[in-house]
Amino acid sequence: MLTEFGKIFVFLIFAMLFVAISIFIARLIRPTRPTKEKLKIYECGEEAMGTPWIKFNIRFYVVALIFLIFDVEVVLLFPWAITYKDYGIYGFLVGIIFLVVLAIGMAYEWRKGDLEWARPKPNIPDLSKILKKKIAQPETIEPSADN
Amino acid sequence: MEMNSLYDSLSLIAPELIISVTLLVIVLFDLIFKNNKKMLPFLSTVGLAVALITQAGNLTDGGFAFSPENTPLFYGMLTIDSFGAFFKILVLAASMLIIYFSSTTDEVNESFDRLGEYYTLIFGMVLGMMFMISASDLILIYLSVELLSLSSYVLAGFSKNKTRNNEAALKYLLFGAFSSGLMLFGISLIYGMVGSTNLTALNNFLQTGSINLFTITISLILVFAGIGYKISSAPFHFWTPDVYEGAPISITAFLSVASKAAGFALLIRFIRVGFVSYVDSEGFWKLSEVFDWQLLLVIIAILTMTLGNFSALWQDNLKRMLAYSSIAHAGYMLLGLAVMSDQGVLAVLVYFFIYAIMNIGAFFIVMLIANRIGSENIDDYDGLGFKAPLLGVSLGIFLVSLTGIPPTAGFIGKLYLFIALVDANMIAVAVIALLNTVVSLYYYIRVLKHMYLVKPSTEPPVIKPSFNNLIFVLILAVPTIIFGIYFTPILDFAKQCVQFFGV
Amino acid sequence: MNGFPILTLLTFIPVLGMVLVLLMPKDKEREIKITTLIATGIQVVLSAVLLMSYDYNAGGIFEESSFQFIEKFRWIEITGLSWLGTVKIDYFLGVDGLSTPMVLLTSIVAFIATLSSWNISKSLKGYFALFLLLDTGMMGVFVSLDFFLFYVFWELMLLPMYFLIGIWGGTRKEYAAIKFFIYTLFGSVFMLLVMIGLYFSTQETLADGSAVFTFNMLSMMDPANYTADGILSPFNPGNLRFIAYIALFVGFAIKIPMFPFHTWLPDAHVEAPTPISVILAGVLLKMGTYGILRISYPMFPEITKDLMWYIALFGMINIIYGALCAMAQKDFKKLIAYSSISHMGYVLLGMASLSTTGINGAIFQMFNHGTITSMLFLIVGVIYDRTHTRGLDDFGGLANQMPVYTGFVTVAFFAAIGLPGMSGWVSEALVFVGSIGEEITRILAMISTLGILLGAGYMLWALQRIFLGNLKEKWSDLTDLDGREYAMLVPLAVIIIFLGIYPSFMLDIMNTSVNTLVEFVSVNVSKFTLSGL
Repeated sequence: MLTEFGKIFVFLIFAMLFVAISIFIARLIRPTRPTKEKLKIYECGEEAMGTPWIKFNIRFYVVALIFLIFDVEVVLLFPWAITYKDYGIYGFLVGIIFLVVLAIGMAYEWRKGDLEWARPKPNIPDLSKILKKKIAQPETIEPSADN
Repeated sequence: MEMNSLYDSLSLIAPELIISVTLLVIVLFDLIFKNNKKMLPFLSTVGLAVALITQAGNLTDGGFAFSPENTPLFYGMLTIDSFGAFFKILVLAASMLIIYFSSTTDEVNESFDRLGEYYTLIFGMVLGMMFMISASDLILIYLSVELLSLSSYVLAGFSKNKTRNNEAALKYLLFGAFSSGLMLFGISLIYGMVGSTNLTALNNFLQTGSINLFTITISLILVFAGIGYKISSAPFHFWTPDVYEGAPISITAFLSVASKAAGFALLIRFIRVGFVSYVDSEGFWKLSEVFDWQLLLVIIAILTMTLGNFSALWQDNLKRMLAYSSIAHAGYMLLGLAVMSDQGVLAVLVYFFIYAIMNIGAFFIVMLIANRIGSENIDDYDGLGFKAPLLGVSLGIFLVSLTGIPPTAGFIGKLYLFIALVDANMIAVAVIALLNTVVSLYYYIRVLKHMYLVKPSTEPPVIKPSFNNLIFVLILAVPTIIFGIYFTPILDFAKQCVQFFGV
Repeated sequence: MNGFPILTLLTFIPVLGMVLVLLMPKDKEREIKITTLIATGIQVVLSAVLLMSYDYNAGGIFEESSFQFIEKFRWIEITGLSWLGTVKIDYFLGVDGLSTPMVLLTSIVAFIATLSSWNISKSLKGYFALFLLLDTGMMGVFVSLDFFLFYVFWELMLLPMYFLIGIWGGTRKEYAAIKFFIYTLFGSVFMLLVMIGLYFSTQETLADGSAVFTFNMLSMMDPANYTADGILSPFNPGNLRFIAYIALFVGFAIKIPMFPFHTWLPDAHVEAPTPISVILAGVLLKMGTYGILRISYPMFPEITKDLMWYIALFGMINIIYGALCAMAQKDFKKLIAYSSISHMGYVLLGMASLSTTGINGAIFQMFNHGTITSMLFLIVGVIYDRTHTRGLDDFGGLANQMPVYTGFVTVAFFAAIGLPGMSGWVSEALVFVGSIGEEITRILAMISTLGILLGAGYMLWALQRIFLGNLKEKWSDLTDLDGREYAMLVPLAVIIIFLGIYPSFMLDIMNTSVNTLVEFVSVNVSKFTLSGL
């Protein structure tokens, strides 16, 4: 008889087959009349322009990260707030330590200027300082044939 | 969870707490004194030293930390024992050396404004390693591996203005993400069968429960993939040469010693706690017969050392060569574990202790020379031995020791490995390992050949290392010789530490 | 001589010298040379002292009580390993009739090699430091009675030798140096494995009655010490003693060098600077044969007995093959190198006979070959220093130009051929008497006598090509020997002739021990065989 894993496996196979078969049947019976308009990338009715592979500003990610951190904080602090009475002073300390660590992270972001949307001046690495030291090796990616 | 037991557990992880606090202090310090980077290495060293002293004082402590209250068996997330203490001391000591190492590396010091992050991330790695060493719960194993990995991805690409650096970091990240994914899948399969993430529970399950051999084999291979990636054993070693070559050299040294040590500690504990039914009077482990760890490890070890050694033969970049050599050494050490006995673990401990000294030493001298001549190519080393006598001789000592020729410490590591192998009657494996040693001689000695034998085409520069650097080199080179002649202290220390708590 | 650590001093005086040399500033060239000379000189004096208080009736070989100048301390002791018991390694030195001639040889050759190093000019400090380290390694091998210690000294020589050939050598020095290194390391890793195997098969009873595994060579020779289940224990029916013997033998054979492991030798000899060739031929080659006598024979007597014929066979091949190769050489130094292979064949042949005469001859031949070949290499060095060529056909008629030099060459050549009255004759005669006297090796020994003929052939031919005939124009301003060269060649020539006339001087030293060894092997053959238990 099948084990529990085996049942899941059978289920998996059926799921995959179902998708494959229905796509295949649809392909058989649907009409195919492509036009230029139809083949275009769907962009909410807007005229598509440029490539979708553009670089986003890194600051979007930073903001997203900050959001995530505080999101998690809320998730953790909420149950803590409900039950910390039961745990007394230890529970309180644990919560405080958590908040302190988080605050240091916040302070780091702040101090490094990641919270300012419009940066006053870009912080370009000082190349002259680097070039002063002799760097003999050309900066190319060496082909690694051995692996 | 009972808060009192939590509080008790805290005293067991005092060194880890010290490391955490130091990490926070470094972040704060860097934020407050933005332009004073000189203090950072000093602060780091103090933190590590305090942690080291605390750890050394708790050498024989044993206990489970963070035990869930209502489990019938009394085991927890972390196991504190002298085996873990050995590796923690090793990691902490290596980190102290690496901190000094970093403070003299041009590659690191070029990025002045990010030095705070550098030291913070090193502490992130140390913290990850320390939890990895004592983790006895699959969840904590995974978390600590990730903590270590994430910090090291960033550090591998730390000097971000160099192409090979970026390549290294990206490769490391991609390989790392893939193998930790595999590991997580393996862990979830184990949890699905055992119903617990604890290694002791796994052991009990294997001895009593009904087992699906196929599933357990798959899951263990997957978990091993994750660990094998950390210790860079074949066939999970492909990232190693690129990352070791591309990363700042201090990080390379750190990865090759400390990160590998933590990986080995994890693997040993995983097998010892999870699979060993009992230990017989001669120290051999009797494993649950669900999975032939010995066979797997022997095959992997032989593959690892042979691939490492033979690939190293063709390398022209010294850093890359040392990367392959560290793969080969991982192979030797895996053999020690493959013996599946206390004797074998002793050999691994002794080997690691010595390996840490000589490998950091070799990387340090490569760094000093690269600082001066701006190259790690072996061909650029022509005739250097005469221009930098002390560095040349010391590098010679380290390389000879890596080969394992008496009277250097490396020989003692190899000796105990072979003693363990012969004791377990694994003669054929020992012969393969010995032949590998002969192969490795060729590429180690090649460096010496270039330094002393080859006539340089241009006059090599005179390298005069600073007084501090010389002292640092001597701190590593002298023990390499001393321990080769009188190795009782290492063994006395290691033999105390082949003790696992709670098994 | 009780309590005076003469062997430790013999072994570590060079290390002391090395430290002094390293502490001296680079430009004090003369002082560095003198320090080295003093260090090796002290060694000669010490070995003379050793010889004076040597007890000719003590056998040694297997019992600790009859070894002389013993020094034994606990070096490594690790207790409390429940699954392994106590681990102990001794610092255990001592000499008997096998090692005393080798100790003498080492100190003499090292001293003379120092003299011949006088005109080394490149990185002098490094050269002499490495030279002295090499000296320690060589001496240590001959005096240590603990296998672990033996192995450490054995390996200690490799690195200095690599650099001495590699830095101060000739045109293809890098190739020669790495070839030497890889070959010898290849051999010694097997030795390491056998050593560990023996360690786990023998137990020594300590004073407190507990039995521990041991690296002590003498304990490894006693069948009573073997455990029941050790992999190299004769009591274990599935033991690997035969394989271990072969592995060990290969390790030693590479050093000898025995055909087919000999290919490193011509390269190393030709590329090495003169003093290093002298050391290499004079001392290093002896380690292989010494190791076989000291380790393989008493620890594996039953296999030795079985393989006598094969050892003799390889001896014969070495003799004939080496001689034939020597005959084909155009390079003076290569000729000497191949003649070394041939002469080491005599040692193998003598050893293989397992008779007192044969082994006496073998050890005597080891000593004689050490002195004679050293002299030959010095002779090549003398002419190479002056002309910077070693081609045999580049010379001719030097006899008139350099009469004294020719005299010394003739002494050395005749000694190498085995002319009666020279030391080489005595040892070769003993080897043949011993090996023809034994049934098993008789035929091979008879064939080997061809080697003497061939030896005479290539030696005399070389003599003729260099010294007879017409002097070439460009060599007309060659000078004869200077004082330093006299100092190198005269002692060797004196030793060669003295031992040719009065061989008992050396034979008496080794005789008791050789008797003990032969008796020990024959008595223990049955004790080491399973069926004989």
